[in-house]
Amino acid sequence: MEIVVCVKPIPEAETRLRVGADGTTFDAEGVKFVLAGYDESAVEQALLLKEAIPGSRVHVISAGPSPRTDEVLRASVALGCDLATCVDLSSANSAADPIAIARALASALATVPHDLVLCGKQAGDDEAGLVAPALGELLGVPDFGYVVDLRWDAARKLLKFQRWGESGLELWEAPTPCVIGLQQAWNDPRTAKLPAILKSRKAPIARAAPPAGPTSPSSRPERFELPPPRLGARLIEYKTPQEAAEKLVKLLREEAKVFP
Amino acid sequence: MTPPVLVFGEVHEGRVASASLEAIAVARELAGPSDPVIGFVAGSRGEAAAADFARFGVGRVLVAEDPRLDAAPVGAIAHAVTAAARSSGSSLLVAGGTTFGRELVGRLAVRWEAAVATGVTEATRVDGTLRVRRAIFGGRASETRRLEGERSAIAIRPHAFPPPVERPGALAIERVATGDLPASLMAPHRTEVKAPDRGAGPGLTDAAIVVSGGRGLRGPSEFHLVEDLAASLDAAVGASRAVTDAGWRPASFQVGQTGKAVSPQLYIAVGISGAIQHLVGMVSSRVIVAINSDAGAPIFKVADYGIVGDLFEIVPALTAEVRRARGR
Ligand SMILES: Cc1cc2nc3c(=O)[nH]c(=O)nc-3n(C[C@H](O)[C@H](O)[C@H](O)COP(=O)(O)OP(=O)(O)OC[C@H]3O[C@@H](n4cnc5c(N)ncnc54)[C@H](O)[C@@H]3O)c2cc1C
Repeated sequence: MEIVVCVKPIPEAETRLRVGADGTTFDAEGVKFVLAGYDESAVEQALLLKEAIPGSRVHVISAGPSPRTDEVLRASVALGCDLATCVDLSSANSAADPIAIARALASALATVPHDLVLCGKQAGDDEAGLVAPALGELLGVPDFGYVVDLRWDAARKLLKFQRWGESGLELWEAPTPCVIGLQQAWNDPRTAKLPAILKSRKAPIARAAPPAGPTSPSSRPERFELPPPRLGARLIEYKTPQEAAEKLVKLLREEAKVFP
Repeated sequence: MTPPVLVFGEVHEGRVASASLEAIAVARELAGPSDPVIGFVAGSRGEAAAADFARFGVGRVLVAEDPRLDAAPVGAIAHAVTAAARSSGSSLLVAGGTTFGRELVGRLAVRWEAAVATGVTEATRVDGTLRVRRAIFGGRASETRRLEGERSAIAIRPHAFPPPVERPGALAIERVATGDLPASLMAPHRTEVKAPDRGAGPGLTDAAIVVSGGRGLRGPSEFHLVEDLAASLDAAVGASRAVTDAGWRPASFQVGQTGKAVSPQLYIAVGISGAIQHLVGMVSSRVIVAINSDAGAPIFKVADYGIVGDLFEIVPALTAEVRRARGR
């Protein structure tokens, strides 16, 4: 099976976010970019399928500003992906628009064989969750988000997966091709071994041109804001646990107005 | 006539999901006084579901009464929605923060050539320009975006807007044709639905209240204290990684950097120290309560209310008080 995983470089979780110079986005200066958490689960899923289906290949693609993309592509190769392609979107405008990213991925997929396209269901930076469904529409295939646990039924030639929907855990069967957005942290993604990391530094990365023509962004960030710092907890004074409980319920009900 | 604002209603068992109904107030706000707000539902029980819109004052509902859409992938729903949006002349669609609502707008970005945004917590339309605010980086920051183009589709964040107010009124149903659905979109097949587990999936990520337990609980057999408190509040249950790593509860309960990001109205952390990797998954909660015996625990720096004390005494008392206050 030809499996494609789409991955996005995002600031590592411990990053202390700062407002960028023009105020529309975060300040990327000195920020370390890593594979998005949901994408780690997608890469892990791709590798599990590759191990289960003889003759499979995993091709990892990242659309974004190079060289950030190259870092996460190499990290994915170190984990076991076979081929890597970068679609360089150095123009900040389109890199900040999830739909432009989906269009760039779709244009790269025009020349990359794919039975199955895996993505994280969203990325931990813009939290948009738009790439998988937009990619499904661009490729003219179904997409499913919120997926945990994807298997291949070789006898029936069907994907079988579970998805968190509004009414609970849904079980689905689907033929290929299709686009799947994976949930984060359900499959305990593997970590790369040092020799593989060293080898991945020399791994070839194919370059695909971004789609030609006007890439008018469908949405444009205008302002990036950080919340005011939290002031610290108001500690409840009490003599008995009952008194603490009563005071807390009263505060939640009357002051915070979050008591159900 | 001014173009109507369309509200997408996700239907389950003949009812519109409550998260979809949250979109009505937003649509009204964006519609302004003269533009009508109309609903959309699909599936073989569409007509029954349309009554849920009428209950909240949306009297005109477009119904794609089509059994093929009962358990269809979102791509097929996007076909039906696009057909309905075109026939109604609408240029703005608002969806609730359901799983399909969020994916639907992604498909509409291409199919309906709409400017789109998900996770919207505020939306304004001034002189035809739609601006949205949304939480990003797991709620550690927010951004304002301008949506450009003739058409827009947004999905709001669950619980970010007040629940809709009942305004029962007349219901006028308009049947809309689904048209041809490409075979590729109809090939997938939903075989089963299992009831949600309180500690996982959207149960946790979309809950209005989350109660999480940490290593302070001491062991798997004491963790029910957290679950009892959660049950009294109709809350979802979360856990720190110390708990899931130790196998006291499955990994699906884990909140934090390598677990789930949650942002409920109320987050109660019980016996959790507040390591940065836990905090990144919950700091954006609206109100945070910490219960911890160590007054120096970092969780108190991000909490709004704190109780310094032994959780084995405090939590049962709190559960009892919550039950009493809610008349249970
Ligand atoms: C790469 C990486 C990723 C990580 N990802 C995550 C993640 O996603 N989520 C996560 O949670 N952690 C994560 N961690 C782990 C994190 O660093 C902490 O180790 C973990 O959150 C600690 O869990 P805890 O607060 O339950 O335990 P502890 O830090 O041991 O805290 C237990 C708390 O319970 C209190 N306590 C003890 N007894 C009582 C009592 N009787 N009554 C009241 N309070 C009591 C103590 O005062 C203490 O504050 C990650 C770590 C790394 C390195």
